[in-house]
Amino acid sequence: MKLKMKISALLAGLLVSAAAVGMAHSGSNVPPLAPLGDPPIPLDNKQSDAKIKLGKMLFWDPRLGGDASTGCVTCHEPDQGWAFSDSLSRGYPGTVHWRNSQTVINSAYLGKQFWTGSASSNESQAKSAATGAVAGNGESDVMEMRLAFIPEYRDLFKKSFGTEYPLIADAWKAIASFERTLIHNNTPLDKYLRGDKKALTPQQVRGMSLFNGKAGCIACHNGALATDEKYYNLGVPPAERWEDDGLAQITFRYEQYAKGVTQKMYRKIKDDAGLYYRNKEKADMGKFRTPPLRYTKYTAPYMHNGSFWDLKEVVEFYNAGGGSNDFTDGTMAKNKSPLIKPLGLSEKEVDDLVAFLDAFSGEELVIEAPKLPNYAPLPPPASN
Amino acid sequence: MKAISYKTRVSRVLFAGAIGVTALSGAIIAGENEFGPVGQIKVDAKKAELGKRLFFDRRLSGDAALSCASCHQPDKAFTDGLALSKAYPGSKGFRNTPTLMNTATRKNWFHDGRLGTNLNDVTREMITEDYIMNMDMRLMQERLKQDPVYVKMFKDAGYGEPSNGSVRKAIPEYLKTLTSRNSPFDKGEMSESAKRGFALFKGKAQCASCHTGANFTNDKAYNMGVPENPEIWSDPMRHMTYAAFGVFMGIENILNLRRDVGAHVLTHKADGSDIGKFTTPSLRELKYTGPYMHNGTFKSLFEVVSFYNQGGGQDKNKDATIKPLNLTFGEQQDLVAFLEALSGDVLNTKEHAWKDEIPTNYTAIKNWRAAKN
Ligand code: HEC
Ligand code: HEC
Ligand code: HEC
Ligand code: HEC
Repeated sequence: MKLKMKISALLAGLLVSAAAVGMAHSGSNVPPLAPLGDPPIPLDNKQSDAKIKLGKMLFWDPRLGGDASTGCVTCHEPDQGWAFSDSLSRGYPGTVHWRNSQTVINSAYLGKQFWTGSASSNESQAKSAATGAVAGNGESDVMEMRLAFIPEYRDLFKKSFGTEYPLIADAWKAIASFERTLIHNNTPLDKYLRGDKKALTPQQVRGMSLFNGKAGCIACHNGALATDEKYYNLGVPPAERWEDDGLAQITFRYEQYAKGVTQKMYRKIKDDAGLYYRNKEKADMGKFRTPPLRYTKYTAPYMHNGSFWDLKEVVEFYNAGGGSNDFTDGTMAKNKSPLIKPLGLSEKEVDDLVAFLDAFSGEELVIEAPKLPNYAPLPPPASN
Repeated sequence: MKAISYKTRVSRVLFAGAIGVTALSGAIIAGENEFGPVGQIKVDAKKAELGKRLFFDRRLSGDAALSCASCHQPDKAFTDGLALSKAYPGSKGFRNTPTLMNTATRKNWFHDGRLGTNLNDVTREMITEDYIMNMDMRLMQERLKQDPVYVKMFKDAGYGEPSNGSVRKAIPEYLKTLTSRNSPFDKGEMSESAKRGFALFKGKAQCASCHTGANFTNDKAYNMGVPENPEIWSDPMRHMTYAAFGVFMGIENILNLRRDVGAHVLTHKADGSDIGKFTTPSLRELKYTGPYMHNGTFKSLFEVVSFYNQGGGQDKNKDATIKPLNLTFGEQQDLVAFLEALSGDVLNTKEHAWKDEIPTNYTAIKNWRAAKN
């Protein structure tokens, strides 16, 4: 008992110095937290009222998916933080997804979308979401043709893009335009950083110093978005459902197959290797993109596989020095980020930090569901 | 359309060779001995048994809503009794579901003959086609691996572990078992009326110039002037399903067309003279397979025969051999009696239909972390 105490005290001592080094490092090199401005608008997809209106309808419309049952909103429900409130997201009917559904709020700012950054914009993200076998499972030409048979959409596409018939690529653009209106940048933290010193409670201010200092969160969750958009393995434990849910096991293997791992790897792998699937670098196994922290109050559960159900669990995970998985313990790789170490936060400090995380979220963003237009027969062609 | 081969219509590149061959030879009147029984095809029993279970398993479609047998029902000689077929949810069919009886003896498949290779490709087409089963075959493979019954059946059949490649072999093996048997025609037990009908069929009515051989088809495509089924154009879901198909098949100006172009999807003649050609269907098991024609336009065999009697329909590209036949009412009835005499056993017993329950969910693999994927 005593011995153990001694060792951990020693460790803690070591840690303090490590953290201090880290701080000095981050203090000089990483951008500080900052109030969030407006999202970037791409030159080739300017915002317009018609487009935003159309994009909102399309976001809700299940006809942009294989069997016309699963739209964006199915897995990004406004009253579930514009995400899906389960560890692994629901999937296309007959499947379950293999990752946690991310919020679409503020996704407009991200140059690396999805847990492994595989899409570079809302436009390209929407396309992969609607066509992936365990997400929308739609075929582009089928979805495009469905749009042509909806008179209101023909009008709105024409107004937005000038085409006679809707093009599926423009559907992704319209959805992206709508997503660029789902902005959360007036949080207590934004107000505080803009100068309203009363926007944070004293406890939150203490939490912020921990965030920027002893807890080392700023090393990765930095800048206006609270993410460096880089990839790390924190040792998040594997999804429990893979052990005991047949449907989840199917999707897990399917993803290995679909992402083109070697036969040997396919046989052996038992956890989500994250960034590895994109570049097949062993050194990237188990790494996921640092998520932004705004709106997280509403987006539980957390992490790429929804391992944690509240923010306190997340902070306790960090305080314990992260966790372990097949890509940290040497089973497949040893990639745990050296930035993740026991923090030695007291219970009070943990609470302070949790209270500060709350400041990343303001009012819940609720909007009314749009009314979706019906199919109608195509008018007879002018000349036939 | 996805760029991956697991879920994509690849047929466009596959049939070209086979079509070239069939297009060359002209129609010939077959001799009487051309019409013998279909005969059973030798199969590997274990592979066919596996194929049977797969054929009846809804988990082979993307959202697990449809099995092959949802549309190809044994009681109806593997058709669905509808003018226009069902489709994957979110789409609606634009063609009549053809019988699968004797399909293994065909030279090309589908009403437009767009696939001319083999049933392995046809099976893939059905499984992956977005308006039929919309399945990513990689996901299908993992579903099958999750079912211990399949794991054993694939192994016993000599395929090793379940894979999408062996699904595409096992289902065709099962399809080979679906052959016609015991029709009054094959047993030599036709009525007098049917016998007179047979004589007309070979003679005056000239049906045998196209409906020839054991399966009563020469596998070639003709324009009979069959009228359009207006429902395809008035029901937006059918129309869009057809239009999406047409776009994929490279048909230009698809949204200004109000017709099913048929075999034009493969021959793509610039003058459009191949528009409206459809493959000659088998005439076996007609008792169970109505409505008739590629779009289910005719409800009864008598309607079909009257259609022929009046010289087919209206179309500027109608086949020149289709002329009014001047058959009496009695002759038309005889012809119908003959057509009916080509229907035999309904293959809806355990031998050809999977009767045991097929689970719809999946048990977890125990000790998953230690198990080999
Ligand atoms: C079946 C559930 C499902 C559907 C349908 C779905 N999504 Fe998602 N979405 C998810 C999941 C799960 C993730 C994370 C997946 C990953 O990283 O692999 C995600 C990620 C995202 C992200 C990335 C956010 C970030 O922080 O990087 C955006 C944006 C998004 N989805 C938008 C959409 C849009 C737009 C649609 C409709 C075209 C859509 N989603 C349809 C489940 C779904
Ligand atoms: C080494 C970089 C790094 C550091 C340091 C770090 N994080 Fe993270 N954070 C990440 C990554 C990467 C994830 C996603 C990991 C995953 O899903 O496997 C994440 C996830 C989270 C999440 C979940 C967000 C969501 O939407 O699911 C929260 C909350 C969070 N971190 C807060 C913190 C706090 C508080 C600290 C400081 C104690 C901290 N992080 C330190 C990189 C970091
Ligand atoms: C949603 C209904 C539906 C389902 C499910 C379906 N089919 Fe079909 N099948 C059709 C239709 C309709 C056609 C004709 C298509 C055409 O002509 O374009 C067809 C054609 C065929 C043909 C060609 C027959 C011929 O003589 O040309 C075969 C063989 C076939 N299907 C086998 C299968 C198999 C095997 C499955 C399961 C893997 C299956 N089908 C599932 C509706 C269906
Ligand atoms: C020139 C070739 C040709 C001749 C001659 C011909 N048929 Fe056909 N038959 C076809 C084609 C092609 C179709 C399919 C047309 C379609 O689907 O649009 C067909 C369809 C049919 C069908 C519908 C079968 C089904 O499953 O839908 C019947 C019944 C039929 N023919 C009987 C006859 C009879 C009886 C005669 C003689 C009176 C005859 N045919 C002469 C080519 C021919």
